[in-house]
Amino acid sequence: MTWLQAIIIGILSCLAASVPAMGGTTFGNYTLNRPLIAGFVLGLVFGDIQGCILLSIPMQTMWIAIVTPGGTVPADLRAVSYIGLPLAYVGARAAGMDFAGKDAQGLAASISAMTGVIGVTLFYGTSMMNLIWQHWGWAQIEKGNIECVGLVDAVLPWITNLIISFLPVMLLCKFGADAVEDLFKKMNTDVWYIKAILTVGSVLPAVGISILLKAVVTKTSDLIYFLAGFSMAASMGLTLLAATTVGGVFALLDYKMAMNKLELQNAGGAAGFDDDEEDI
Amino acid sequence: MAEEKKLSQKTLNTTFWRWWYGNLTCFSHEHMQTFGYMWAMLAVIKELYPDDHKKQEKIMETYHPFFNTEPEIGGIVVGITCGLEEARANGAEGIDDEMINGIRAGLMGPLAGIGDSLIVGTYIPILLGIAIGLAEGGSPIGPIFYILVWNITEILFEKWVFKKGYELGGTAVDVLVGDQATAFRDAVMVLGQVIVGAMAASWVSISSPIVIAQDSTGADVTLISRLDGAFPGLLTCAFVIFAWWLQAHKNMSAVKVLLLYVVIGFVGSVIGLLGS
Repeated sequence: MTWLQAIIIGILSCLAASVPAMGGTTFGNYTLNRPLIAGFVLGLVFGDIQGCILLSIPMQTMWIAIVTPGGTVPADLRAVSYIGLPLAYVGARAAGMDFAGKDAQGLAASISAMTGVIGVTLFYGTSMMNLIWQHWGWAQIEKGNIECVGLVDAVLPWITNLIISFLPVMLLCKFGADAVEDLFKKMNTDVWYIKAILTVGSVLPAVGISILLKAVVTKTSDLIYFLAGFSMAASMGLTLLAATTVGGVFALLDYKMAMNKLELQNAGGAAGFDDDEEDI
Repeated sequence: MAEEKKLSQKTLNTTFWRWWYGNLTCFSHEHMQTFGYMWAMLAVIKELYPDDHKKQEKIMETYHPFFNTEPEIGGIVVGITCGLEEARANGAEGIDDEMINGIRAGLMGPLAGIGDSLIVGTYIPILLGIAIGLAEGGSPIGPIFYILVWNITEILFEKWVFKKGYELGGTAVDVLVGDQATAFRDAVMVLGQVIVGAMAASWVSISSPIVIAQDSTGADVTLISRLDGAFPGLLTCAFVIFAWWLQAHKNMSAVKVLLLYVVIGFVGSVIGLLGS
């Protein structure tokens, strides 16, 4: 990996720095931060869009839903996207692996889990260091300098990110690349412990999906909808878009029933129930 | 009588974009979105009280208290406070720091719940899911689709709630947390549940090499082929539901479940229960 590539990846990691991303919430955290998007952007950096995207898919699947209520994060995707993914890519490339093959995909999933969990330290580091600027900001506001809030909010956190995100990411990418390339080249995927790591990689996406399931399921009986979607996709090969259509049918029925109930309530339960047709 | 004060479109745009970009850039666990909020409101305060710096400081104090919600849907709160500040500058009665902060504090929780479950928990994963499908074989169409659709729809949505908040003030809340909105939200959750099921079946594949018998030709019959014959993907489904159950009913954190599954996967592979 060249210095220039490592520097670009370091800057991307600041823009995509999970919750306090310098690219903002929508474009930083929810766009550049996601492994699939990182796969595309890193593909431009490495000149291999196809390879990087292929490797990013198992990494993205595992963390398909990262919900961060009250600032607690289960994983920091900046580390997955801008440490795990570039290193997995250079390693797999050096070893001549098929990016779409089982070995590369399993390793990518395992690396995704590891970097995601370890990367949480970056998130807490960022959050803590920002306290310095906020502390200074409160002191300024106290003195009547309310104009400082822009500086505190959008400029000074760059210093945090240069130290907590840019430096470690750049150095890990630059110096970790050689080590990872060596490691991957010597790796024999038939050895029991590598097999075990690949199996771990196949089990972990189940956890990613379960995080998402927890976000949409409010009561246990909701699981029946999950099972319906699961069996249709597993038995009939329903694609996601097709599942969206089928799910839409259930959703519309649910909505209509709820609205009917509301109408009845509003009518004091006295008025007749009229079956109201679609009136869009 | 003094002329009615009205926020210019320019100021409202500045406020919106400052919030859109800066809601969490200076995140800390102590103040979360407070500085992003103050930066957004600074433009409003400056326009309403152009020559009175003491007054500006005084009004800014309203926004010192802690603020945190799902920031995208939370744009409505920023819009509401823009409307309230405008009314306060025109001498409307009953609008004071307490009233404004009552609204802010009262909306933080419900909006975070709606935003986290609908935007972050349902909309983004569905878009990403579609993007993963489009990215099959390493095609850039998937990520490009996500970048465009997500950013455009999000900006339109956030602008809309911000504008609604500004126009309607406190009553804007009904748009998002009224009965109809709740029915809509529940319906979208149903959609999400079906899709998550399809995602689990499409993306997760857990297998076991256990052999239970030989058939008449002497070929191995695996346990997994029998299970799949009864319910395709049964083992995968069980792993997903178990992980969900640990989080939802045993209050385990996602990271703990992850570590548990690392152990299960590793040990399962070594003793020959899991793997292909």
